[in-house]
Amino acid sequence: MEAEASSFECSEMLATLLASTPLLEESWKLCGQANAEAPQSYGTKQMGHVTYIAFSGIQMLAGLDPSCSNLVPIESSANGLFSSLHRHGEGEEPVMVHAGLLHLFLSFYSSPIFQNQMREITSNSKSVVFTGHSVGGTVASLSALWFLSCLQSLPSSFSVICVTFGSPMLGNESLSKAILQERWGGNFLHVVAQHDIVPRLLFAPSDSLFPYLCSFFPFWHSSMSNPSFKQLLAQCPDEMQAQFLHIVLNSLEALSAGGLNSGQGNLFWPFGSYIFCTSKGSICLDNAVSVIKMLHLMLAKSSPSSSIEDHLNYENYVGQVYWQILSSKNFQEDDLPDSSYEVGIALALQSSDITPCEAVSGPAKDCLKLAKQMGRTPSLNSANLAIALSKITPLRAQIEWYKVTCDDSDDQMGYYDSFKRRGASKKNSKINMNRHKLARFWDDVISMLEHNQLPHDFHKRSKWVNASQFYKLLVEPLDIAEYYRSGEHLKKGHYMEHGRERRYKIFDKWWRDRKVEGNPGNSRSKFASLTQDSCFWARVEEARDWLNRVRSEGDTRTQSLLWENIEKFDQYARGMVDRKEVSIDVLAKNSSYNLFVEEWKDLKSQLQLFPPHFPSLLDGGGSSSLTIL
Amino acid sequence: MALGDSIGLKEELIKKACNLAMKAHLKSPEKAYIWEKTTRSSTEAVCAFPGTWAVTDWYSRMPFGETKINIALFPSLKSIGMDELALVNEAFSSRFEQLLCNSQLEREVEKALSDRKQIVFAGHSSGGPIASLATIWFLEKYVRTNNYQKPPYCVTFGSPLAGDRIFSHALRRENWARYFIHFVTRYDIVPRVMFSPLSSIEAGLQQILLYTSSKSPYFQNESIGNSSGVTSCFMVVMRNASAVASHAACHLMGCTNLLLETVSSFIELSPYRPFGTYIFCTGNGKSVILQNPDAILQLLFYSAQLSSETEIARVVYRSLNDNLSYENDLQDCLEMQNVVHLNNLLELPLSSHANTNDEAAQLNTVLNDLGLSSRARLCLRAAGELERQKIQNQVNIDSNRDSIRKGLNEIQGYQTKCEVRKVGYYDAFKLQKDINDFNANVKRLELAGIWDEIIEMLKRCELPDGFEARKEWIELGTMFRRLVEPLDIANYYRHLKHEDTGPYMVRARPKRYRFTQRWLEHAEKMQAGSSSESCFWAEVEELRAKPFEEMKEKVVSLERRTLNWIHDDHLSRDVLFEESTFCKWWRNLPPKHQSESCIARLMNNI
Repeated sequence: MEAEASSFECSEMLATLLASTPLLEESWKLCGQANAEAPQSYGTKQMGHVTYIAFSGIQMLAGLDPSCSNLVPIESSANGLFSSLHRHGEGEEPVMVHAGLLHLFLSFYSSPIFQNQMREITSNSKSVVFTGHSVGGTVASLSALWFLSCLQSLPSSFSVICVTFGSPMLGNESLSKAILQERWGGNFLHVVAQHDIVPRLLFAPSDSLFPYLCSFFPFWHSSMSNPSFKQLLAQCPDEMQAQFLHIVLNSLEALSAGGLNSGQGNLFWPFGSYIFCTSKGSICLDNAVSVIKMLHLMLAKSSPSSSIEDHLNYENYVGQVYWQILSSKNFQEDDLPDSSYEVGIALALQSSDITPCEAVSGPAKDCLKLAKQMGRTPSLNSANLAIALSKITPLRAQIEWYKVTCDDSDDQMGYYDSFKRRGASKKNSKINMNRHKLARFWDDVISMLEHNQLPHDFHKRSKWVNASQFYKLLVEPLDIAEYYRSGEHLKKGHYMEHGRERRYKIFDKWWRDRKVEGNPGNSRSKFASLTQDSCFWARVEEARDWLNRVRSEGDTRTQSLLWENIEKFDQYARGMVDRKEVSIDVLAKNSSYNLFVEEWKDLKSQLQLFPPHFPSLLDGGGSSSLTIL
Repeated sequence: MALGDSIGLKEELIKKACNLAMKAHLKSPEKAYIWEKTTRSSTEAVCAFPGTWAVTDWYSRMPFGETKINIALFPSLKSIGMDELALVNEAFSSRFEQLLCNSQLEREVEKALSDRKQIVFAGHSSGGPIASLATIWFLEKYVRTNNYQKPPYCVTFGSPLAGDRIFSHALRRENWARYFIHFVTRYDIVPRVMFSPLSSIEAGLQQILLYTSSKSPYFQNESIGNSSGVTSCFMVVMRNASAVASHAACHLMGCTNLLLETVSSFIELSPYRPFGTYIFCTGNGKSVILQNPDAILQLLFYSAQLSSETEIARVVYRSLNDNLSYENDLQDCLEMQNVVHLNNLLELPLSSHANTNDEAAQLNTVLNDLGLSSRARLCLRAAGELERQKIQNQVNIDSNRDSIRKGLNEIQGYQTKCEVRKVGYYDAFKLQKDINDFNANVKRLELAGIWDEIIEMLKRCELPDGFEARKEWIELGTMFRRLVEPLDIANYYRHLKHEDTGPYMVRARPKRYRFTQRWLEHAEKMQAGSSSESCFWAEVEELRAKPFEEMKEKVVSLERRTLNWIHDDHLSRDVLFEESTFCKWWRNLPPKHQSESCIARLMNNI
């Protein structure tokens, strides 16, 4: 299919939409109140079905002390509050956030009042806006991340958005990636005034910043609580303001010049969308590299005093966006290019307060172009994927056919064991090839989804949820067979913990989250055509391993634990069989499951001859040792 | 091209409609409607509806006053496959329905009809939606149902929006959109009010209505025109118009930012969308004509933008007077004939200064007089690009027709092979014993892939509005459904999916069959659900799983329909094979029932 003929630049259009909604205005109103009336705390307000929570910009400064400004892994430092945020691959850095800012959030979180209020929100509202000015915005971000993590375990259609105004960076690139992976990028909107230095602060080395923070934060704080203190800036030596700007600007420049490749170690990294407000308009970007570059380019045009003052100018910026959309800013340039895309870029530059003759206009143009993923639109991608799916489906049908022939064959092994013990034949290698091709197809789907190349609700569309579920139920048993056939479990450990491909976990989630309209609750009269737990065979393998170990295990506590596990599995498997949720291959005479059943029966009958004396787990230990056989 | 020619309506008639609409508004607002009764020999009859001037006549409920359309009165106003009803402004639609019940309108229309007259419905301001609804009512009742050959026209002046995107989609699908002509002056606030929720404009709207109603003591009262209430109302209306327009533009431009979806769940956007042809008057005798509803939506916002903040007082005042100036503006437009027809949105000049040749320069002055900035023009181009993309999608989909036919032929071949063995293909497929069964399954999946693609596109509105009314696709869809759906049913019951999911018909029937059935039923004006022959086997499977006594009525109903389907060749005769699941089941029904059954002869003749 041909690529699209023309494309449009939409960073400005999205900003216009945001400016037309009451979202920015309402959020800012409450932030301003929190600044004035609730220092070191937060304010809440309910409007219709929406609850707003605004964290004051005035917060304890301890967090910005150089000793606290390092990044710390979120998993170990926050006791699993953010369970969904973990790194993508083993080679990557762990997800890390600013230690001081995390500490600040935890101090809010530990208050029972705060937790109660959060609980109330889920029962009283349908949506929540977390917002905050300055450092308050980072608390809002962490609150939103925590809230989103909690929502995952609840089947709800709750809407969450976090709107920050002039907030410092929060975490590293792994955090940004983890947020993308959870598809939460759209829940964060960071409003940045064109010259505001605070969002750019943390790109500079913390020790060099510290003395400046000690002077400017008190100034910002007093001006937040009372705008008339803004005049105090005049008392600050010009020299000092200039040095401050210089340090931050230099760091950003070095960063931009370095190319901003992915994986640059201990660096702060933006996540979510950034709306840049200027005196000429606003633009909205979500590509992290473009955001950093734009942060740099806009600051490069700032004077020392406006870089400090702009942190306090959100009232004006939010107030003027309305007039900006009401008036048709006409374009001054005489010869516009004829391409829609180029004109869109030129208009976005105009809204960024950058004129074509300025030195930064070239890099700014590149930066806007980078932001737009030049490629097909999500809906076209998804249309092409649907065609690819219909082409790949026959491969799946061949595996189905393979299952039927195995299940019917005389060796009575079922398709799991047939595949596990397969010999070299054309048929077997074809099935294995199909398995690989299907895996590649689905991995591609997931990668496109995570790179935001597919429509936002793609993973909720029943076509894809059903197709992935069917694929998982049919093919995952073959993956498990391959895993145990090639002895991977001896090298890495059992499949469930160490071998399961990520795609299956994702498909589990899709299936869990799908819309189910009531439950007919019928019981099955025949065995399912596919075993309803795609990991059934992995559990069988693990249980057989326990069986082997229980025989040779010397330590009684371990032994009783193993015994308990086996019993649990046995109950689970019997339940599956009773409810006919397994397919007939499970019950084939020579299947691994049947082997397990036999071995388990043997073991138990032997034990009836020599009854064991398991020590109770509670009484703390076994001196008596037990020997079976 | 002259204005009248480019919309296919005589200019004399447009003028007559305008005069009558304003007359209804200014001189006889108490009447339900007035006719222009010219001479007996005249070939036209014009009917105009006055507006009403209480806020509750505009918004009957929060937030936007919309409700589902009365589908009995307007059977075409829905999306066919999705089966989603159009939304309409409740206050306007109930006013029209009352008018239809309580007046002589229907009788007078039929009189004009029997005189073979060309009927034109007209209305100013809130009379506009009544004229639109009357026109649709006429099209449904006389054109679609009784094939009356002279479709009516609807001409409105400063009409508020009245229907949602499905409303607009359905009119385009039925090819009726061309009968609706809406005139809008550059700043007229009325066509834009419906973008705002009632709660945000109630007081301001009250004042606007007082100012524009001829019955009101404040008619054209200057102090109202310049009041702060009207100013803030104008600003709220524009802000909401901007939200709707920029939200639409983000989608037109293919914005991929996930924030767009999050924000959408936090804001209430007006459901109303324009339909038909719009003619925007610049106020100095020039006019712009366009039909693309996405582009019209953008223009409704951009043409009323200020060129600078200082203009606000002047523009607000004009936004009221522009609602009363249609007679003059129309007169100017018809005299000047400086008309731009925006049917090639993709080639629109983006710069307001481009003056390469005469034609482009003329185009540019008109666009400039309507205040269209480069941003506005980009949005119009994006609307044009989407339209182009939809047409391109349709071309791509059309190229699939051969592979669909080929696939259907192969399945037909499979059916024939089974017939030779005296086995119905439903039963053979359900057993899946033979390599032919497997191959048929692969074909089924391939065809499902192609059709699901089409359905996905329809669900996301990525095909032209008329797609679901195209004869060749309705026929192909029907063929596909009758031939392949039995295999889907066989697969479903073979895998016992009904045990965990429920009956096929209720929970599992794929959209590709639901949609294609609705296409046929809409095109043939059949009752919904009456063309369910392709689900024959699903009904049989459900019936045979339960005792006869419980199912008796359903059995009789299925037998009666089966007889007709076999007779009309809508159901293939292999269902009657001796060993088919159907026959085996039927022969086990109580003998008394069998002997009295309407298909007894059919079954005994096998």
